[in-house]
Amino acid sequence: MSKIYVITSGKGGVGKTTTTANLGVGLAMRGKKVVLVDTDTGLRNLDLLLGLENRIMYDLIDVAAGRVNYKKALVRHKKYETLFLLPTSQVKDKTSVNPEQLVKLCEELRKEFDYILIDCPAGIEQGFKTAIAAADTAIVVTMPEISAVRDADKIIGELARAEKEDIKLIVNRIRPQMVESGDMLDMNDINDILSIDCIGQVPDDEMVVTSTNKGEPCITMEHSQAGQAYRNIVGRICGEDIPFMEFPKETFFQRLKRRVFGD
Amino acid sequence: MQLSFAENASFEDIWTHIEEKLESGSGFFLRGTLVLVPRERFLHEELEKLQKLFHAHGLICRPTTRQDAQSAPVVETKAGQHKTAAGQKPSEQVQEMVVVNRTLRGGQEIRTDSSVLVCGNVNPGAQIIAGGSIDIRGTCRGLVHAGAAGDTSSFIIADHLMPTQIRIANLIARSPDHMEMTERAERASIKDGQIVIEPIER
Repeated sequence: MSKIYVITSGKGGVGKTTTTANLGVGLAMRGKKVVLVDTDTGLRNLDLLLGLENRIMYDLIDVAAGRVNYKKALVRHKKYETLFLLPTSQVKDKTSVNPEQLVKLCEELRKEFDYILIDCPAGIEQGFKTAIAAADTAIVVTMPEISAVRDADKIIGELARAEKEDIKLIVNRIRPQMVESGDMLDMNDINDILSIDCIGQVPDDEMVVTSTNKGEPCITMEHSQAGQAYRNIVGRICGEDIPFMEFPKETFFQRLKRRVFGD
Repeated sequence: MQLSFAENASFEDIWTHIEEKLESGSGFFLRGTLVLVPRERFLHEELEKLQKLFHAHGLICRPTTRQDAQSAPVVETKAGQHKTAAGQKPSEQVQEMVVVNRTLRGGQEIRTDSSVLVCGNVNPGAQIIAGGSIDIRGTCRGLVHAGAAGDTSSFIIADHLMPTQIRIANLIARSPDHMEMTERAERASIKDGQIVIEPIER
């Protein structure tokens, strides 16, 4: 039975698109048939993260309007054969697709794919409502930062109002050193407010930036900590029981270096 | 908590069952809970035994007559601490209560003329505006306004009372800028024209 996930957050810049791309690649690495649907019309990024921008022929708007069959709009990933992207338009805006159209499209995609991941735009307006309409499960991405947690809380409320009961949490861009020194919210603080099932804790990792620029999600990188965290999340989505990773403590020399040279 | 018993159950059965439940530590009976037991159901000495049993486990047992018992679920917390609701105006005994069985999240609002019971948290950015009192079985971090129509006898109770703002009737209190997690349940009410917060037993 295929599953439809929406990756959402409320606040922008917390890593919805990065998460979508990584989970998509991760699931495809396990041989699952995956399609990533970008609903951030007008501000599309997902194609960049996957390095597929130059292969786009048709987009979500064309499919929703019935101009082409969705199969024509799908872009196959260059490396992972079971991973597809359904890009959106960069010139239109969010009013170009409505919830009914997306639900209909997802019902068709369901027949062919194991996992459908929908990348949701920031905000709680039309674009958000469209993106969540078809989803079975919502993955809320947040950061250990008060504004991101507040927005995630709001989003969870909105999801509940739309009768989406299955909601999971991913906490992104954790800086273990800052958490340890008490300068950043820790998981307890976040759970205290959000109190939903957490399926991932992803550390802040410079490799995410490099991988974004290269168009190759960091989940493929053996030594990336964030990549490891994403691999764990993919395992949990597939039903495995994986403990949260321990973040390595700062060594004496790193601390000395930080003291001497600053951050 | 109002307990009711099957008509044909013997006192011994009831006794053993309650004792089992208390000993099991299942969390059904929380310490400090006010347990109401119907007075006419038991003999005087049986009531005393029950009271002792509950007391030994840190609960407060109070026998009630039938009329008390009926109004008890409505003004449950009032029965213990707030005499006016039960005694002053008879018409108020059947006041309504809105029960919210979930966590109120940012942006959600409850607006009602009656009292409100929340079984869950009230998160920052959420609002409760009630004509009567507000009881939160969880952590309160949002904005709460009791007695919004001007009732100065209304109050606010929460397991962890750390709201952004408390309003009762026409008074407003703001939380300190650095709020610490409170350990005990607290009640906010108006005393001498000021909002005061004091710890209570639950």
